[in-house]
Parts: sequence; structure tokens; C-alpha cells
Amino acid sequence: MRDQQLIDRFVEVAKGAGAVIEPVESIVAAVEYLAHQVSGTLLLPSFASGERYDIAGALRAAGINVVTEDFRGAADQAEAGLTGVNFAIADTGSLALESTDEDIRLATTLPVKHFVLLDPEKIVADGLEAIKPMRQMHERSPRNYIAYITGPSRTADIERVLTIGVHGPKELYILLIPGLSDDFLEM
Amino acid sequence: MNKQRSKEYRERIGKALATPKLQDALHKFGDAYLLSREKAYTGLNFEEMRGKISEMKTGVRENHTELLDQFITNAESAGAIIYRAKDADDANRYITELAKRKNASLVVKSKSMVSEEIHLNHALEDAGIDALETDLGEWIIQLAGQKPSHMVMPAIHMFKEEVAELFGKETGKEEPAEIEHLVEVARGQLRQGYFNAEIGITGANVAIAETGGIALVTNEGNARLASTLPKVHVALIGIEKLVPTLDDAARVVQILPKNATGQLLTSYVTWIRGAVPCDGEEKELHYVLLDNGRSELAESKHCQDALNCIRCGACANVCPVYQTVGGHVFGHVYIGAIGIILTAFYHGLDNAAELVKACIGCRSCVSVCPSNIDLEEIILHLRETVGDEEGIGAGKALVFRKVMQNRKLFHSMIRAASLLQKPVTRGERTIRHLPLFFSPLTEWRTLPAVANTPLRDSFDKKVQKIDKPRYRVALFGGCANDFLYPELGLDLIEVMNALDVEVFYPKDQNCCGIPAIYSGDKETALELARQNVIALMDEEPDFVLTTCPTCAMALKQNFVEHLKDLPELSDRAEKLSSITVDAASFVLNELGGAGLFADAADGKKVTYHDSCHLKRGVGVWKEPRQLLETAGFDLVEMAHSDRCCGFGGSYSLTSHPHISKKILEDKVDDIRASEAGCVAMDCPGCMMQIRGGLEKADMPVQARHTIELLAEVLRKKK
Repeated sequence: MRDQQLIDRFVEVAKGAGAVIEPVESIVAAVEYLAHQVSGTLLLPSFASGERYDIAGALRAAGINVVTEDFRGAADQAEAGLTGVNFAIADTGSLALESTDEDIRLATTLPVKHFVLLDPEKIVADGLEAIKPMRQMHERSPRNYIAYITGPSRTADIERVLTIGVHGPKELYILLIPGLSDDFLEM
Repeated sequence: MNKQRSKEYRERIGKALATPKLQDALHKFGDAYLLSREKAYTGLNFEEMRGKISEMKTGVRENHTELLDQFITNAESAGAIIYRAKDADDANRYITELAKRKNASLVVKSKSMVSEEIHLNHALEDAGIDALETDLGEWIIQLAGQKPSHMVMPAIHMFKEEVAELFGKETGKEEPAEIEHLVEVARGQLRQGYFNAEIGITGANVAIAETGGIALVTNEGNARLASTLPKVHVALIGIEKLVPTLDDAARVVQILPKNATGQLLTSYVTWIRGAVPCDGEEKELHYVLLDNGRSELAESKHCQDALNCIRCGACANVCPVYQTVGGHVFGHVYIGAIGIILTAFYHGLDNAAELVKACIGCRSCVSVCPSNIDLEEIILHLRETVGDEEGIGAGKALVFRKVMQNRKLFHSMIRAASLLQKPVTRGERTIRHLPLFFSPLTEWRTLPAVANTPLRDSFDKKVQKIDKPRYRVALFGGCANDFLYPELGLDLIEVMNALDVEVFYPKDQNCCGIPAIYSGDKETALELARQNVIALMDEEPDFVLTTCPTCAMALKQNFVEHLKDLPELSDRAEKLSSITVDAASFVLNELGGAGLFADAADGKKVTYHDSCHLKRGVGVWKEPRQLLETAGFDLVEMAHSDRCCGFGGSYSLTSHPHISKKILEDKVDDIRASEAGCVAMDCPGCMMQIRGGLEKADMPVQARHTIELLAEVLRKKK
């Protein structure tokens, strides 16, 4: 059982970095939440936990316009992208996503909103502890594009004034779903 | 010395000093940065972290060939195409030829200082290829046709009104000068570029030998897009960016954002290993590994630590000179302390020569460097190199080599000056106005007159009656104590005698040599080290006391370094180093003497100024405070208590008086805001600067040496 303190720390720091944390407790609740948040197109790449629970079907049943193909064409107009998370890092409030599959990258870089499904079991204390699963990912696959994501995109380049939302997403939503997955090597 | 180059440089300084908006922005940033940085390191041990980074990066330099080979092998087996570029031209040629082969008309770039270093955009444009910067700050300066003025925030010197005007030209309509709106405009304008470009060019914050991959530390999301959408990805990597393992990379990633912007972590850290899928095919991935002077830098024993830099920009953030004149003056392509060093090796000594002299020597950079690089020491070494190449100037050569090395001649000239100065001192201890072309020297602060009787003459006249002395100590007065403030030395005798310590003044002591080092004259410094070690150790004192921390640094560190290859002197230099101590620390730690002064002061409000060389040179800042508090002063801290006062030796007098003036203004403002009636410090150089500034500003605040205050308290007690 992951230390509740660790989960609380992750939540606190992630919020501090501008992420919205939503403990949803189940896929059904997650889908309901998403239906309220997303009125436009939702990009849904293929990821292990999503496939396992037929997220695509559930989202469509809830009336969401789900796109699963031709992301290069659809991504720029899409409102949101939905992915899983391989694991999270508590001390910086960060998410680690194995994004070698281009669709994961397109879904998480172009739309204005990024939603993630995170099992709170998959949280490590800090960036140095994260190297264990990172190394495993490198060993398992000959090529990698692994993304650490901490809050939405930001800049302070104009007069040092912090502005949220630049080229990447403007909003990041972390849906906490216990029991979703305990495997760091899958999303 | 290049007169034209010097003239142009001074004009740039003048322009920067005439833009208070820039200084205001950089000062505010410096303050905000320190607060968020402190917060980011909560619960962490910065000293320990930077020790590990330093060790790791030094190992990288020492094992560079093997690590580079390992990186290349792993990168190639993951599908990367490697090009080892010798220099800027070589890298530019490779990239432009690649772009031509791909029929690329547009290249998108995420932020890369290396690409600035080699002027890549110029080379591409010359070849008819558009290079679009996507990092917001870089795009802004690209539109403005300017170079970055900071390594992490390139457009820190620009204001929203200017940005709105630039963007308006791009969009063809008037854009409101509202920051959130302007960022939205940039998002919209740059988006299509990612789709249209044939090539995406990024830098790399680390290159990991273990995996053959790189990591990019970013906030905006543009590096993710630039490395995903275009069919070709070129990563421009300085060969010093290597780290051995993923764990080492994690340590760099852990410290870099905290030190750069005070963030716990940037919004994105992107770990790319090999050629990843791209629109149904495989990305064409090129790593351009750039040397451009890095191998030469690795060979330089004095400067090689500079290769440990992880490009956080903190050295500029905390630099009082940078905060006063900005990166376009205190930099070339790379800015701040590290910028000076890299400019010398990557862009040539000629481009670094003026910059090398513009460092005031306050060591604030050294205190925040996450790779523990002694940046100031390296800059002083480069100043010596410039001195060797170009000469140190006829005036200085005369003073240092012909006069100062001959102690008797040097001191008799100062005595002569004390007589000749009468027309301008009019018998007073301070000079308020110098005539004719000397008048700028006293425009913004008064100067002390040369004392009628230097300390070395009045010393023996002071009666020291101690029955059983605990210790017999030598006083190393230093030029300021000896010739400007002899009363400080006499006060020290009083304090010491009250604690049963006998003091003597070795007459053959000469200038400590730091002014020569700061002017690039190693030869004179060496000769002075020799003279002083012999003079001070002759009567085998128990301790050697200093009232000037610059002198303390010379005795504790420089002399040992200068004389280490002279067996007949090196032992004595080591011994001297071990027995040298600043007066305040001696009173508190060695003598346990704080109690003697207890509650003797009348609760007078005092604030404390930390001299650069006391705090960041010999590591003392608690002792004077403890003495003052125990003595019953009401100690109130001023803002920026450890920020330089602007003295810097000849910096304030001859080399950069205008920058010195501005830095002094900041210090006087902070003293005023503290509402203390007295500012204490442990350095006669700072005394000269701060006293002079307070007097010129007609502020009734006293500037006193801690020892002076303690002596005063003793006299009151009697």
C-alpha cells in the first residue's frame, strides 16, 4: 500500500505546479468527469490501462467525440487529450509518460487540455528513485521518448510575469484512480 | 590595449546605465529569484548536491574520450546519425547541407545556446533557409534582431510594449500590450511552423553515455513539438554536456531548474533516446556534437572547471555588475561570470578582454554555482592572460612593477602624497572635492585623505602594558589600514591589550598583492608574497591578525598558491596561512573575548554590511554579528547585507567607476531603509566606499569597522 503521505505530497506539489487533481475512484466516475469537462474532440491514443477497460467505448457512450486515428490531422483542433501515466514523482509533482508512440506525444502536446489517469500506487518519492523504472523502460525498448510532465506549459519570458499555457497544454488534469494499474512499465 | 575596443565597451556601459528600467527589472528579478530559489531548496542540502555535481562533471572531463565513445556507440545503435563538429563553421556547414538535401525551406528551433554560440540562424539564412525560433524569449529577440541578454530568459531586457509592437508587425494588426494576450499571439503564430518545417532543431541539457540519449529541460512545450512534428530532428550538443548514467542525469535535472529559475522542476523534461516513430516512419535523428574550443578549455589547468557548467544562469542572476548593466554589456553570446570564461575560449580572448576586467570580484557567483566552479578565480586567471597578451597598461606597470615591488620607494611615495595632498584636503580627513579632471572621482563619494602619520610610524608609540601576554600576534595592516585609517590599527591594539594580547607590526610588510592580481600582474603578486612571508614569519608570531579580508585571503590562500613551488618559502607560507585570522574571529573564537564587551553599548541601532571577501572569501559572517550583539548593540539586518558595496579596489577608482557608483547607490539605499544610525563592517575598503557614499549623500549614518566599535565601547567602559 503506497504511503498515504507520499500520495498527499504528490497531490500538494502537483497542485502547486498548476495541475488540477481529481480523485475519481473508478473508471465510471472518470468518464462522468470527462463528459462534464470536454465538449469538443478528445484524442484517445492506445494505452494499456485504457484498452483493458475499453475507455474508448465508455467515453463514446457518454457522448464524447472520441478520435482514435489520424492524430496529425485532428490534434490541432482537438480540445483535449487523454492518456495514462507510467508513474509519478512526489517531490516535484511530476508525471512520467512513456511517449515513444507518436500518438501519445500528439495527444499531450497539441490540445489545450491534457487529462491523465493515474493509479496513486505508482508514485515514487523523487527523481533519483524514478531512475529505476526509467532504466527498466530503457532496457525493455531500444528507442524511447519519455516525457516528464509537471503542470501545464508556462513561460515568464515577458517581463518575468508567469503565464500559463504557451505551446503545450494550458490545463492539466490528473484523475486519481486506485486499482487502475500497478505496473510502472505500462500506461 | 585596444583603445577602440575599450571605447566602444565604455559606450555600451554608458547606454546601459542610462536605462533605469533595465536595472529595475534585473534588480527585481534578482530579489524574486533569491526567494524562490531558497524555497526550492527546502529540505535539501545545496552544498552536498553541488559537491556531487562537481565530482561527476570533473570525472566526465577526465574520462571524456571513453564516455563520448560510449555515448556515440549507444546513440548509433538506437538509430542516431552522429556528426562530430570541430568548430562553428563545421557545424553550420553540416546542418545547412542537411537542410539543402532535405529541400528544407523552414527549420523550427527550440532554445539552444549552442546554436547562438555558432550563429546557426545566420548560416541558415545565408543559405536561403528560414530558421524560426519557437521559444518565446528567443522568438522575441529574433524579431527584434537582438542577441539574448540572459541564458535562460533571453528577452529579460525587453518590455511588453516593445513586444506588442514586434508582434503587431507579424500579425499585421495592433496588438495590446497585455502579457497573457501576447503569449496567446505567440502560440498562434508559431503553431503552424511546427507542421510546416522539414527539420526541428533542439539543444540538449544532458547527453547520457549509458543510453546514448539526451534530455531537454523546458517549460513551454515547444521542444516537445519541435522534436515530434518535423521529419528530421537535429540535436546540437556541446561535448561537455555528457554525463555517465541516468542517475547522473537525474542529479543534473534535480538541481538545474532550482538554480535557474527557482522552480522545483520545469513543466517538461524530455528524455529522447534514438530515432523514434514519426508519422508512420522513423525519425531521421542527427546529433551534432560540437567542440568549438571545448577541448582547448579542457586542457587549460586553470580554466577547465568551467566545463562543469550546467548552464543555469544563476551566476548572472546574483551578479551586481550584471544587475547594473545587463547581458548585452556583461556578456558576448554567453553572459555573466561563466559567459566571460566561455567567451575567451569559444569566441576569442579579444571578445573577452573587456569583460574580464568588468568583474568586480565579489564572488556571489561562486556562492550559487551548482557545479561548485570557482568562477572568480578563473576570471582572475584570464585577466592575467590578457595582461600577458596585451600588457596591463603603462600606468599600472609603473605602479606595480617599478614602485610597489620596492617597498621603501612605495611607502615613501605615499608619505610624499600625504604632504602633497594638503591643497585638496585642506587639513581634513576626507576629500570632498577633487579639482579639474580628478573631480569625477569625488562626484559621488568622498575619499579619505592619506594619513599624516601612517600606522607603521605611530604603532610603536602606542604603549602596550601587558604583564603576562596570552599571545604575541603580528598585525598585517594592509595598505588601507596603514596609510588611510591608522586609527583602526591603534584601536586594534587597545582591544587586543584588553584581552591580554600583545601586538607587533612587522615593518617590512608590503602590499598583500591582491591589487596586482586584480590587474592581471602575477609577477608583482609573487614578489609581494615572497616579501610578506619573510617579513611576517621572521619573529614567529603566535597569530597574524588582519583587519582587511582581502589581505586575509591573500595571506591564507594566495601566498600559498604563489609560493608552492619554492621549497624555501612554501613551508612558511603554509604556516602563515594556518595562523592568519581576521580580528573579529580571533576575538570571538580564539580568545573567547565577547564577554569583555558585554552590554557595554547603549542599545544603539547598528546594521551590518558583509564584505565580499569576508563572507565569500574567508567564510566569516557570524562572528562580527555575535560580537556586536553581545556588546549590546541593537543589530538590525539590512536587505542585501551581503551584496557588494561596489568598491572592488581600483574598480571604483579607475577601471569601472560608473558601475561602482550605481552599486554603491543600491547599498546606501539599503542602509537608509534599515534605519540604523551606524553600519558596521570588517573591511577598510568597504569603509572607504560606504563612508564616502554616506557622506556625499549627507546621511548622518556612521560607517565603522567592528574593531573600531569595540574599542569605542571599551573606552566608554573606562
